[in-house]
Amino acid sequence: MKQIIAALILSAGAGTVLGATSYTMDASKSSLGFTANQSGGDFDGQFEKFTARIVFADADLAGSSFNVEVETGSVNTHDDDRDTALRGEDLFHVSKYRQARFVTTGFTRKAPGTYEALGKLTIRDVTRDIRVPFTFSTTTESGQTVAWLKGGVTLDRLDYGVGQGDWKDTTWVANEVKVKFSLRLLPVTATASAELAVQPAKPRPVK
Amino acid sequence: MQWRNTAVRWGAVSKFLHWIIVLMIITQYVLAEAAEDMPLGLAKFVTYARHKSIGITILGLAVLRLLWRWMNPTPELPNTLKPYERFLAQAAHFGLYLFLFAQPITGWLMSNAQNFPVSYFGWFTLPDLVAPDKELGEVLEDVHKTLFKCLLALATLHVAAAFKHHFWLKDDVLKRMLPFGSTRSGSP
Repeated sequence: MKQIIAALILSAGAGTVLGATSYTMDASKSSLGFTANQSGGDFDGQFEKFTARIVFADADLAGSSFNVEVETGSVNTHDDDRDTALRGEDLFHVSKYRQARFVTTGFTRKAPGTYEALGKLTIRDVTRDIRVPFTFSTTTESGQTVAWLKGGVTLDRLDYGVGQGDWKDTTWVANEVKVKFSLRLLPVTATASAELAVQPAKPRPVK
Repeated sequence: MQWRNTAVRWGAVSKFLHWIIVLMIITQYVLAEAAEDMPLGLAKFVTYARHKSIGITILGLAVLRLLWRWMNPTPELPNTLKPYERFLAQAAHFGLYLFLFAQPITGWLMSNAQNFPVSYFGWFTLPDLVAPDKELGEVLEDVHKTLFKCLLALATLHVAAAFKHHFWLKDDVLKRMLPFGSTRSGSP
């Protein structure tokens, strides 16, 4: 009987190994940028502050989830006038809508390592369902598992009301905005187990 | 109509290029001042975009103007000029030509440093000369504005000299550059 219980515990343990892994984002090496078009020319910008809570595993897409929160006020296009305009009422309206949010509702596998996240993107007070293609890969950096989540999506800014008044006109500022992201992720469990490893191992009594 | 320059007067092409560039520089000043005074909004960005497109037009016309100058005789300065006056006139003209290139190019560089691509009236986008760099952008903005003040000072001298030739020395130096103007001597 004891052996059967031990086997059950072991298999349950194996189940969590196969289940989706929680990751913390390495903010210093992650980026969330965009390319927009103004007066006929493309320019790049990025959001300096954003958080991503990522739970992901190829083998457990049902148990996977992304929860991304972006501080719209952290927008940086390397020009003070333009950044101030972007934070203003007619565009991101940062004073009222501090964050943009992306929360997944599901995933589909397109090819090995290539997926599509289905989710709800909220910018200002508009929430829309979108599909975000991405790649997910893991590597080992100095003995530690590191995951990279990379992808991009093209959005129409006016779908989210980013452009009120004069800014609704797409002659000078194009409707399409290409969003790109590259996230360096560190598994939470690996960090925790690494911390445990330095502590003296305590034999766990098997009941 | 005389298209080409002669040894004594400017042809229609040189006159056209001279005056269209004068008009564009005035337009540039008006647009830049208007944009600076505008509240932050789309109109401000649009005005700057127009300023950039016209600036690139001036750069193109300046290239044409130099090419045309090399392909044509340059009307001679009056013999009454003393050697130092001749030198000053040539130096001033050289300086004015230099500004026709320096202003658009510093503007272009400044735009790129401030992460604004330079689009030509939305028809095409010019290549970026420098990567976005806020500090460089601020330096270039100062250079661009200071150069304009220098251009204004030199242009004032240029106009004063033209008036001196016309009203004081009573020669053809001003008249031969005026649109549809004929020279006092009546020579073509």
